Amino acid sequence: MKRYELIVIGAGPAGLSAAIEAASWGMKVIVFDENVRPGGQLFKQIHKFFGSKKHKAKIRGFRIGDTLLKEAEQAGVTVQLKATVMGVFNNKEITVMMNDQIEHFKGDNILIATGASENMITFPGWTLPGVIGAGAAQTLMNLHGVKPGSKILMVGSGNVGLVVSFQLLQAGCEVVAIIDASSRIGGYGVHAAKVARTGVPYYLSHTIIQAEGEDCVTGAVIGEVDDHWQIIEGTQKKLDVDTICLAVGLSPMSQLARMAGCEMIDEAVKGGLVPLCSEYGETSIPGLFCAGDVAGIEEASSAMIQGRIAGSVAARRAGYILDQEFAQKNADFQESLAQLREGMFGAEKKGKNLSHTDEGIPLSLTLLQEGYINEAEIQRFPGFSETISSETKTKGVYPVIECTQNIPCNPCQDACQQGCISIGDRITSLPIVTDKEKCSGCGMCVSSCPGQAIFLIEENYEEDYVAISLPYEFLPLPQPGEQGLALDRSGQAVGSAEIVKVRQGKAMDETAIVTMKVRAKYAASARFYQQLEGCLSGGSTEALAMKGGELE
Amino acid sequence: MSKVVERSQDLGPCIPQNDDDLIICRCEEITKGEIRQAVHDGMYNLTEVKRYLRTGMGLCQGQTCSRLVRSIVAKELGISPAELELTSARSPARPIEMQTYSNEVW
Amino acid sequence: MRIKEHPILHTFPKGVTVPFFFDGKTLEGCEGEPIAAALRAAGVMVHRHTSRFGQPRGIFCAIGRCTDCVMVVDGKPNVRTCITPLRAGMQVQTQYGVSAKEV
Repeated sequence: MKRYELIVIGAGPAGLSAAIEAASWGMKVIVFDENVRPGGQLFKQIHKFFGSKKHKAKIRGFRIGDTLLKEAEQAGVTVQLKATVMGVFNNKEITVMMNDQIEHFKGDNILIATGASENMITFPGWTLPGVIGAGAAQTLMNLHGVKPGSKILMVGSGNVGLVVSFQLLQAGCEVVAIIDASSRIGGYGVHAAKVARTGVPYYLSHTIIQAEGEDCVTGAVIGEVDDHWQIIEGTQKKLDVDTICLAVGLSPMSQLARMAGCEMIDEAVKGGLVPLCSEYGETSIPGLFCAGDVAGIEEASSAMIQGRIAGSVAARRAGYILDQEFAQKNADFQESLAQLREGMFGAEKKGKNLSHTDEGIPLSLTLLQEGYINEAEIQRFPGFSETISSETKTKGVYPVIECTQNIPCNPCQDACQQGCISIGDRITSLPIVTDKEKCSGCGMCVSSCPGQAIFLIEENYEEDYVAISLPYEFLPLPQPGEQGLALDRSGQAVGSAEIVKVRQGKAMDETAIVTMKVRAKYAASARFYQQLEGCLSGGSTEALAMKGGELE
Repeated sequence: MSKVVERSQDLGPCIPQNDDDLIICRCEEITKGEIRQAVHDGMYNLTEVKRYLRTGMGLCQGQTCSRLVRSIVAKELGISPAELELTSARSPARPIEMQTYSNEVW
Repeated sequence: MRIKEHPILHTFPKGVTVPFFFDGKTLEGCEGEPIAAALRAAGVMVHRHTSRFGQPRGIFCAIGRCTDCVMVVDGKPNVRTCITPLRAGMQVQTQYGVSAKEV
């Protein structure tokens, strides 16, 4: 039986981070993963991550995956793919299915980093082909380059539902609607807003009643629910969709921990049954650790830190790190982890109906209920520069930051070389536009914002026209000179727009900055651009012309 | 005594519900009505329901339905799902061919 | 259904285009991609019909967990098509219960 100082089960963000950390201290480490590719779900995450620089913020998930794989290789970690751990037994012995046989291994330390599985909801027709998990949609489109469907209904408005909806739009699918039985959008407001401005409608307090179809999905019926989750008669609505995507939460995949005999605890805030862990991720069995979603549903950034912690604790157990060195390292990790857990989506406030930001500003209710901030509400947030539409027109360009919830994220502060943007040490604080006069219009804040919530406004671009620069991650990329529609935050056309500049660069990492010229009166409302032919969220050209509003 | 083990309790008749024919265990094709009926037949915990109906014993080994079955059984017993102990987690954790399972190397 | 050009990922690294057989019909897919991806790209939704109620099933989790997408591949039933790589000339058949339909 082969013996390792650390056996890691699962080559996702937590497992790889732990393996890298432990191996970098000299431990003999092996990672088992049942998949053909390592990285867990990281390679399906094509959006930019939140956090601060040390959390790899503004880097796309799949690039973080690439980096982890390189680091693992450099650290001498063995990653054994197509190796399914079948059992965890006494004395930290495991069995692994690989090469059509069962092999036994023994670990001085074992880390279970098996991640999570998707929750599902049931409704008539939920077994029909065309009803898929949100993870399946991500796998098909982001790994295999195949659209999961053409017209999609997204069930669930948590971060997974919102992020996958945006990715579906990027893949060229039409997202017909996002529904949620809750009366509030569950995920980050900035994620909701970037989907809303493309024209995707939200139906809150709505649930799916039925998937229609004989052999596969040909439609969906949704309806509004009352306070007792009962359908309100007469609110039924039929949607023309071919795919229903379920994003209704995740559960820790903790079977191996149960099998090992770890003491378990059922905690709603962690997503279900999880092993009872110390601050180091150590379970009730000494030397057996859990990190990442298996220990409680969070996200990849915290999973990576949890992995680092478990890796370093294992190294200390084996005597590779001295206590003092460990204490210092652990303090850094814990601080970093605590930062990610702050804010209105952190464990402490998760699921609570907050009414104000940490700064005491009333939250935008339209953002929570419709997915976008209305024009009146945005003005009370510190990222808003109030001179828009006022009599005294400013010269030059300045940023407007539509970031209105306390989430752990600060790349905009680092991106601005001019010092216009301030968040401070607490990374969940709302960004403040401190001195808009200094803005050089470089656009680095626009492309670095993982929430795509920053816009540059140039008043007096021309007589009676302003130029609005916005983040753009769709194809085809607009071209200078092109005429299209300026959309407001809800995706409604407000007027015509002309593209005057399109910027792309390595530092922007695929987030193009599109500058459009619109009538001055739309300076505070126009936030997205829609090409006249082949629009993002579907609909024909005629439909566009119909919602084109005032075309000039 | 917890309701889970109190076998003398009277759950009353199993009143049909209009979503009783919803498939819950996708692999073994067990419906909500069958799970509810099983509880009324005296299967008061998840292990008993599993052995009675084969919920979670199909190809996927309960990956999708275990949470759903748990909430249906709990509701029928009038308790919270957290009060119901999950069925044992055993090796093999994933479906495996017997030929492979017997091909053991040390 | 294939994404020709992606705004973030651009193109997808794919194997060569190979023929395979779906219920006797010749389809094309990319070598090495999951059978399920090739079928979805070719517009095939139904992978199997269940044994008890004869209901259609297709891709559900796409990562090998739910086992809903199983089909008869090269004569072997219950093959999870979402994690089984496509090879040239593969015989993929709709599964009825636990076997292919008798011809």
